[in-house]
Amino acid sequence: MRKKTFAAAALLAAATLTLSACGSGDDAKSPVAVVAGDNSNKAATILDQPFEKPDLVLTDTQGKKYDLRAETKGRPTLVYFGYTHCPDVCPLTMNNLAVAKKALSKADQAKLRVVFVTTDPARDTPSELGKWLKGIDSSFVGLTGDFATIQAGARTLGISIEPTHKDKKTGKVVSVHGTQVVAFSPKTDGGYVLYGEDATVDDYTKDLPKLIKGENP
Amino acid sequence: MRRPALTVRRPALTVRRPALTGRRLALTGVAATGTALAGALVLVGCGGSAASGAELSVGASYMPQPVSADMAAGFLTITNKGGTKDELTSVTSDSAGDITMHETNGGAMEEVRSFEVPAHGQLVFKSGGNHLMFEKLKHRPEQGDTITLKLKFAESGPLTVEMPVKSATYNPSTGH
Repeated sequence: MRKKTFAAAALLAAATLTLSACGSGDDAKSPVAVVAGDNSNKAATILDQPFEKPDLVLTDTQGKKYDLRAETKGRPTLVYFGYTHCPDVCPLTMNNLAVAKKALSKADQAKLRVVFVTTDPARDTPSELGKWLKGIDSSFVGLTGDFATIQAGARTLGISIEPTHKDKKTGKVVSVHGTQVVAFSPKTDGGYVLYGEDATVDDYTKDLPKLIKGENP
Repeated sequence: MRRPALTVRRPALTVRRPALTGRRLALTGVAATGTALAGALVLVGCGGSAASGAELSVGASYMPQPVSADMAAGFLTITNKGGTKDELTSVTSDSAGDITMHETNGGAMEEVRSFEVPAHGQLVFKSGGNHLMFEKLKHRPEQGDTITLKLKFAESGPLTVEMPVKSATYNPSTGH
């Protein structure tokens, strides 16, 4: 799958360059082709071997202990690993989920759990995390805690994150976010669907009603 | 026709991103395609400016409405119709205390001092890839606002960009 994306990106790059070399490129539209060129036109990737929900006991935005397995048992749950000093993908992912969630019935909204686990716990204290999530959707759960615990939890979902560190060249702080939203079924509590960062509001709006029921989107 | 749901084996770590590879390929492509096209352009006659330096223009700019005034991202595309490459060296705005340029590398963003704008090519900032990072904004930009930016280049004169603030979930490929 990933090879296909690379190939599509390469083809697109070639196509774009060809166009722009003759001064007729329409850059605003070109990114669509990458997605359309890839033959998986669904945002969701359904796993035939679901992930077990990570055994994460962390601290929520109220400063209280939060046991992910206990709190989200039997609930449709979306988990994402990111950080608040992230200008691009992290807020976009969470905002996409927030907007899509609003299209659900009130009853379905009440069932859904969206959990944002920070990959930058040193900067993302419970209150910082709470402030940030309030700007997106105050029902979203924000978790922080020991980095090694968070990293181990992410790893069980195939998500690799590195600790926040200083860039050697620029001296700037670099944090790392995951690139996937993992959906856990209310029926099995297994993580059975993945969304990459290309997933849009429309993709989530279309899929959430199925995920709420534990069905395949 | 209903497509069967895509089922795949559990993927290995997928933190490294196609976007980055795409960009690198794009740049590599410029060198290769550029050479090939230089010949083609003469034949087809749609060039004509090969030796007259970089000719830069900016399009597709937007800022998604940020969560707070602490941090925002901005995206744009710089097109160079000229036959000479140039380099984007700084981005400034009266609306933000600090604007830095970043490339995204496997889920980590890394600050870059300058970006090449290839001859007969484009420098693309887009979500998931290269981005401008705004910090210490005077106000939290809201949808409908415009942020005025000044782009400086190694060779060409500066360009002013009026960057519109779009919704937090704005997707340039669908336009909403």
